[in-house]
Amino acid sequence: MATKIAAGAETLLWHHGAEGHDTISARTLGFWLYMMSDALIFASLFAAYGVLDNPFNAAGGPIAQQVVHPLEGFWQTIAVLGSVLAYSLATVALKNGSKIGVVHGILGAIVLAVVFLGFEAHDLLGLIAQGDGPQRSGFLSVFFMMIASHGLHMVFGILWMLVMLVQVARSGFTGDVVARLLNLRLFWQFQASVWVCVYVYVYLLGGF
Amino acid sequence: MLVQLQGPWSLLFGRLTLSALPYDNPIIVATFIFAAIAGAAVVGSVLYFGKLGYLWREWITTVDHKKIGVMYIIVGLVMLFRGFADGLMIRTQQVMADGPHSTGVLGAAHGFIPPFHFDQIYSAHGTIMLIFAATPILAGLGNIIVPLQIGARDMAFPYMNAVSLWLTTAGAALVMISLFVGDFSAAGWVGLIPLTELPYSPGVGVDYWMWAIQISSIGTTLNAINVIATIIEMRAPGMTWFRLPVFTWTTLSTSVIGLTAFPVLGVALALLGADRYLGTHFYTAGDGGNLMLYTNLFWIWGHPEVYFLVLPAFGIFSEIIPTFAQKALFGYVTMVAATLTIAGISWAVWLHHFFTMGAGPDVNGFFSIATMLVGIPTGVKVFNWLFTLYRGRLTFTTPMLWAVGGLFLLLLGGLTGMMLAEPAVNYTVHDSVFVIAHFHCMVLMITFAIFGAVIYWFPKIFGFPLDERTGKMFFWTFAIATALVFLAMFALGFEGETRRLDYLYDTDWKPMLVVEEAGMILYLVSILYFVKMLYVSLRDRAQNRVSSDPWGTARTLEWMTPSPVPFYNFAVTPQVNARDELAWRRENGLENVKPDHYEAIHMPCNTAVAPIIGVLTLAFGFGMIWRIWWMAGFALLGIIIVVIIRSFDKNLGYELKPEEIEKMENQAELGGIVAEQPARQPITEAEAH
Amino acid sequence: MSTHHSDPLAHPEVQQASAARYIVGFGTTMILMLAALVITLQRRLPYVPFAESIAGLALLSLFSQAALFFGLDISRAQIWKSVSLVLTIPLFIITIGITVWMFNTLYARTMLPGDMMMTQPTLLQ
Repeated sequence: MATKIAAGAETLLWHHGAEGHDTISARTLGFWLYMMSDALIFASLFAAYGVLDNPFNAAGGPIAQQVVHPLEGFWQTIAVLGSVLAYSLATVALKNGSKIGVVHGILGAIVLAVVFLGFEAHDLLGLIAQGDGPQRSGFLSVFFMMIASHGLHMVFGILWMLVMLVQVARSGFTGDVVARLLNLRLFWQFQASVWVCVYVYVYLLGGF
Repeated sequence: MLVQLQGPWSLLFGRLTLSALPYDNPIIVATFIFAAIAGAAVVGSVLYFGKLGYLWREWITTVDHKKIGVMYIIVGLVMLFRGFADGLMIRTQQVMADGPHSTGVLGAAHGFIPPFHFDQIYSAHGTIMLIFAATPILAGLGNIIVPLQIGARDMAFPYMNAVSLWLTTAGAALVMISLFVGDFSAAGWVGLIPLTELPYSPGVGVDYWMWAIQISSIGTTLNAINVIATIIEMRAPGMTWFRLPVFTWTTLSTSVIGLTAFPVLGVALALLGADRYLGTHFYTAGDGGNLMLYTNLFWIWGHPEVYFLVLPAFGIFSEIIPTFAQKALFGYVTMVAATLTIAGISWAVWLHHFFTMGAGPDVNGFFSIATMLVGIPTGVKVFNWLFTLYRGRLTFTTPMLWAVGGLFLLLLGGLTGMMLAEPAVNYTVHDSVFVIAHFHCMVLMITFAIFGAVIYWFPKIFGFPLDERTGKMFFWTFAIATALVFLAMFALGFEGETRRLDYLYDTDWKPMLVVEEAGMILYLVSILYFVKMLYVSLRDRAQNRVSSDPWGTARTLEWMTPSPVPFYNFAVTPQVNARDELAWRRENGLENVKPDHYEAIHMPCNTAVAPIIGVLTLAFGFGMIWRIWWMAGFALLGIIIVVIIRSFDKNLGYELKPEEIEKMENQAELGGIVAEQPARQPITEAEAH
Repeated sequence: MSTHHSDPLAHPEVQQASAARYIVGFGTTMILMLAALVITLQRRLPYVPFAESIAGLALLSLFSQAALFFGLDISRAQIWKSVSLVLTIPLFIITIGITVWMFNTLYARTMLPGDMMMTQPTLLQ
C-alpha cells in the first residue's frame, strides 16, 4: 500500500503477505544454534580433560597411554564416519524423492552406529571389569565422562532415526518430516566431527 | 555404580522421610503459613470466579510470546520478593549478632538464625536473585518486546518458547519446595567446592541447588536459540540490521551469551552431580580430583552470565532515554558496536573471580587487562546516553527516573569494578563485603532497568498505564534504600568485614550495620508502594485507557500496534522505512495511516505439551534430589514419550478471518492480553494445500 | 506454523545434497585420520611436533567436514550457520586453551614437578 509522504515521494507503509517466513530454514538454523550450544558442552569436557589428563590426577591409577588403543579407535572412526555417509546418502535419496532410498540409508546408518557403540561398550565395560572404572581416579572420571557423553548423543541419534523411519513411512515427505530429516543430518554429522576431536585428542594424543 | 549414602533410604520414598519437614523451625512454619494463605487466596479466587478454564486455555497452554513473557515476569517478581525476604533476614541477623555480648533468640547463640540455616539463606538469596529473578524477568521482557520491535507475528518457535517458560518455572518451583521439604544448599550460590561434595554436604540441599539451576538453565538455552532465530529470520521487510532497535541488539547479544555460556554451567554441575551420585573424582580433594576445575568451569559461565543480565538493562536504558529526551539515540552505531564488544570480552575475563587461586602472574595479568578493557565499551555507552540527554526535551516520568538512577549505579559499580580488576587490590579486598557492595550496585542497576522497563512497556501490553504518583514514591524509597544499604556496605568492606558471616566479632561495625538495616526497612516501604501502585492502577484502569503510543514520544515499531497489543501483534506487517520507524512516520505525518484492508492471518494452536513437560521435569528433579529412582526414571521416560508423540501431531494451526481482525483493530480490548478468545477450528490438511 | 504451500523437497537445503561431495568428504576424513594413526603408531616424532601434526590433521579433517558434509558456505541458505560457527570457534579456543594454560601455571606453582610423577607413579599412593 503506497502513501505520499510530506516530501511528496511515494512510500510503502504496510506489507501484505509478508509473514510467510521460510520455516525449514528457521528450523535448521535453530537446530544449528542448538548444536553450537552442544559443541560448548564438549568444549568444556575437553577443557576438563585437558586439566585432569595429568599424572597427578591419575592418582596412581592408569594414565591415558594405558587405557586407550589408537588402532581400535580407528575401527570406531570408520564405523561412525560410515554411518554419517550412509545417512548423507539417505538425504541424496530425499532430494530425489525416493522413500525407499531414505529408509535404506537410515537403516545403514543405524547398523553402523550400533557397531560403533558396541566397540565403545566393550572398551568401557572391560575397563570397569578390571577395576579401572570412573571411580578409580580423576583422570578415569573425565575419560569415562567424555566417551559416555558422546555415546549418549549417539544413542539419542539412533532413537531419533527410528522415529523418523516411522514418520517417513506414515506421512511421506511433508514439510515437518523434511525439516526433521535435515536437522537429524546436522546432528549426526556433528557426532562424527566430535568423534574426530575425541579420537585425536584422547586416543591418539593419549596413545603416544 | 551409585555411591553409598549416610542415613535411611527406601525404594518407594528414596531419602524422603517425615523428618525432612522442618516443622520445628518457627521461621519456616511462619513462612509456610504465609505461603499457604497466599496460595489458598489465589487458588480460591480462581475457583470462586470460575476462571480455571480461562486460566488453562488462555495462559497455561498458551504459545503467545506476550503471555509467556508476562508469566516469566510474574515468576521473576515472586522470586524477587522471596530473594528480598532472604536479604532482609541476612541483614537483620547481622545487625543483631554483632559482638560477643549480642543476644540470641529462637535457638541461635547470636541473632535469631543458627549458622546452618543462615548459610542456606545467603545461598538461596544469591541463587534466586540471579537465576530465578533477574534472568526470568529479562527473558520475559525480551520475549514480549523483541518480536514487536522487529515487526514479527510471534517467536520463531512458539511451542519451544512455552517449553522454555515451563522449564524455568519447574526450576523455580524446586527452589520453593526446598523451603518446606528438606533444606537448601548451604555452600553459597557459587557452590563452594569441595563443600558441595557429598562427604561435606551429605543432605539434599546441594542437590536442590544443582537440579534447580540445571533445569532452569536448559530453559534459558532454549529461549536463547529462539530469540536468535527470531531476530535472524523474522524481521519485517525493511528492518535491516542497522535499523534494529538497540534493545533488540542487546537481547540478541545476551542470547548469544546465553546460548554459549549456559552449556558450560551445565557441564560444571553435571560433573559435580557425577561426583555426588556416581562417586567419580572430578572435584574431590583426593584421588586425582581438582577442585579448582569446578571454580574454573563455573566462572567460565559465571562472568558471561553477568553480561547476560547487564546487556538487556543497557538496552532498556537505550529505549527509555531517547523516548523521554525526545531525541534519537546518540551514536547508534557505536552503541551496537559497544554491545557486541562487551559480549565478546565477557568471555575472556572469568579468572578475575578467583585471582587468589595462585595461577601464574601472566595469567592474572591477562585477565586483569581483559577486565579493564570492558570499561571502554561501557564508557562509550554511558557517554552516548549522556549526549542523548544533552539538550534533549526531558520529561522525568517514572521510567526515566529509573533509567537515570540506573546510570548513577552503573557509574558507582563500574568504577569499583575497575578497582577490583587490579589483582593487587583484589588480593586485599578479596571476599570482603566491598566486593558484595560492588556487584550489588551492578545487579541493582539491572533491577532499576527492570522496574523502568516494566513501567515503560506496561501500558503497551495491558492497555492502561501504571500510576505515576505512587510509582515515583516507589522509585524514591527504593533509590534511597539502595544508597543507604550499599554505601554503608562499601565502608564496612574497607573496615574489613568479610562476606557470609552469621556472627560479627567487631562492634565498631555496628553503626554502619544499623544504617544498612534502616535501608532494608525502607526497601520494605518501597515494596508497599509497589503494591499500592499496582492496586491504584488496576482500580482506575477504566478511565486511563491509552492509545497506541501512551507516552506520546515513543520511537520504535512496538508502539505502532494498538494498546493492548492484540494477540496477533500486527494486523498487517509494517514496511520499515527508517531506524526509528514511528518517529519517522510522526515527522512525516503518517502515524495514523492504517492499512487499507486486512488479510487472513495464520496462527498456531495452543498446546498442553509444554506445561506437561514442565510438570514431568519437576517430578524428575524431585526424584533425583531425593533419590526416588522410579519417579525420576518414569518422569524422564515420560518426557521422551511426550516429545515423540508431539512430533506425530499434525495440528496446522488456525486462520484468523479478516472480519475478525478488523473488529479487534477497532476495539483493541477484544484481542488484548486478558481477553478470552472464542474457540477456533484448526485448519485441515486439505485446506493447507 | 507448519503449513507449506510449496514443495518441501524443492528447498535449497534439500537440493544441496550431493553423493559425490559426501563420498569425497568421507574419503578425505578417512585418509587424514589414517595418516594421524600412522604417525602415532610409528612413534618417530618427538612429543610437540607429533601433537602439532595430528592436531593439524584433525583441523584439516574438520574443515573438510564443514565444507563437504555440512556444506557450509556464504550462500543465502547457509550464511547464518557459517557466521554462528565462525563466532563460536574463538569460544572453543578460549574455553580449552586458556583453561589448560591457567592450570599449567597453577600446577607449576603448586605441585611437585611432573617428571617425578612420570617416573614414580607410586608417589601419591
